Amino acid sequence: MQLDRAFLRLIAIVAFTAALPCRGEDVISGRWEGSAQIPDEEITVVVDLAQENGAWVGSIIVPGFDVKGVPLSDIAVKQPDVSFSVKGPLGIRMKLRLDGNGKMTGNFEQAGNVAPTSLQKTGPPQVEYPPRNTPVAKELEGEWKGDYQMLGYTRHVSIKFTNRGPDGATVEFVIVGRRTNNLPVDLVTQEGDLVTVDSRGIGFSFEGRLKEGKLSGAIRQGAVETPLQLERAK
Amino acid sequence: MNGLPIGVLLAIFFATTAISAQSMFRGDAMHSGQYGGPAPRQFHRVKWKFPTGDRVISSPVFKDNVIYFGGDDGNVYAVDAASGRQIWKRTTNGPVPATPAIANGTVYVGSYDGKFYALDAKTGALKWKFATEGERRFEAKGIHGWQPKDQTIADPFDIFLSSPVVANGAVYFGSGDGNLYALDSTTGDLRWKFKTGDVVHASPALANDILFFGGWDSYFYAVDATTGKEKWRFHAGEDPLIHNQVGFQSSPVVANGVVYTGCRDSNLYALDAATGKEKWKFFNDLSWVITSPAVAEGKVFFATSDSSLYHVVDANSGKSVVRQQAKAYMFSSPAIVGDVVFIGVLNGTLEARDTKSGELLWDFQVDASKRNNGWVLTAERKFNDPFLYYSSWREAPIVANDKQIRIGGIFSSPLVVNGVVYFGSADGFLYALE
Repeated sequence: MQLDRAFLRLIAIVAFTAALPCRGEDVISGRWEGSAQIPDEEITVVVDLAQENGAWVGSIIVPGFDVKGVPLSDIAVKQPDVSFSVKGPLGIRMKLRLDGNGKMTGNFEQAGNVAPTSLQKTGPPQVEYPPRNTPVAKELEGEWKGDYQMLGYTRHVSIKFTNRGPDGATVEFVIVGRRTNNLPVDLVTQEGDLVTVDSRGIGFSFEGRLKEGKLSGAIRQGAVETPLQLERAK
Repeated sequence: MNGLPIGVLLAIFFATTAISAQSMFRGDAMHSGQYGGPAPRQFHRVKWKFPTGDRVISSPVFKDNVIYFGGDDGNVYAVDAASGRQIWKRTTNGPVPATPAIANGTVYVGSYDGKFYALDAKTGALKWKFATEGERRFEAKGIHGWQPKDQTIADPFDIFLSSPVVANGAVYFGSGDGNLYALDSTTGDLRWKFKTGDVVHASPALANDILFFGGWDSYFYAVDATTGKEKWRFHAGEDPLIHNQVGFQSSPVVANGVVYTGCRDSNLYALDAATGKEKWKFFNDLSWVITSPAVAEGKVFFATSDSSLYHVVDANSGKSVVRQQAKAYMFSSPAIVGDVVFIGVLNGTLEARDTKSGELLWDFQVDASKRNNGWVLTAERKFNDPFLYYSSWREAPIVANDKQIRIGGIFSSPLVVNGVVYFGSADGFLYALE
């Protein structure tokens, strides 16, 4: 009888431990879908999490809020707790805990507001990676300057390209209106003769082509586009 | 002469002035924005709140213990000022985001149905109505940078209708058809109309038989009230790219021979009333000035939209005297009562500030704002813009604007009578606070 009880206890322990994720077993990697319950509205959230070379990477989709494949930052996984941020204008933070039913529940935080959220794994991760800077042509390197009119006054633009080897080019993007704005640049690419400089965080971009020694194109601020011709700074 | 002593006559005159100074938009024909009586420096309670069927953008006015206002549910309301009970309502065929004027036992107000109404103040019965050439909002291609940029989009921020001024046996008001109208206040017959280049939704101010008003064509006009002939015009800023920094939505105030008006080109202008010459302008860094300024004790009180700043500037020089940061856009016009200034904020808060320091004395948040449906507001009660205006495509910005308004935004300019503060909210209620 005592043997039976000990045997049953052993079976129970084995069964319980088998149900727990092993140390190192990756139950967090995957596509997680669910929602956040904000007052009078439900926000759909799709999160992709994966491990790469021992580090966590991820991206998020929030349909209806123009958030698609935005990279996750500050990912912290300490099972059963998972947290991450989404940088940019929305500024989302999610703090989740994996429960025994394979769900992650917790908080969806934005602008100081907090809502309950619940995510369910629906498949393997489909992490999206942000596009990377490319090098620019040698003749583009250096500083370019030009002016444009928007909202009733003139703004002066300076774009300075520097090639950084395998990391592609970097750009200093400065707009001087009533004050001087050093725009943080997220992406610099050159495809053929088309050059793009993106400052997505604050909604500015420049797109132009090098023709006859001038960089001709347009600057966008949000949805507003206006022509801009840059000339090499003297 | 067996008349009353001069002191008694003066007392009667000022008492009459004080009462009539609550019966039209901004208090009087010159739009001073000043009200008599005690100034509530502390908030005690909600005296009553009156529900309507839609948002209340109109500002309340007061006459003979009755509050009158328009509702976006299409009704004009008369409500007992003491109890908040409805006395009558009169249905029009369009929203009424205009402030009525009360004179000669008549309520005058325009509706988005394109008609201008004269109603019996006691019963709401129709005395006459006048058909304008039609009401519409300001519109432009790709307005505010919204897309498609080559498509004409109506401006959802063009939220008010022109509030009438009654004087000289006439009623004066602007219209979406681009006209400023002068009608006979008794019969509703047209005396004259003055054509501008675009929508006129500002309320004209009247001083020395001259009407002053601005239009969405970005011109500010001075027009002879008797003849309808133009005296002068002043051209403000243009914005051909996205039509964001253009047009007069603010209603002017006239004081000491100077006209003060806000403009969407982000300036507050001080213009010589006789010539239209610019005396000074106060630039607000691309932030609209929608509020109608108030003038008291040599100072001009106004507020801004995007930068959400409450300003007091010197009326002679335009130099800043007080600058206070609020939490959200202000379209509501400041009401000055003694040493307190009241202003509505679009986050659903009414603010009471000290006139001298501009410091917040108290505020009142409507329930819809507290609920914060759809997270329109941040936890700090600021507009959660990235959550609202995440797309400039299709109807997204229009829907965002509607959500923003439904948080209970206070566009209505407060009215203060006997220490009670009355104002409308886009949550659909008219509030009385004491």
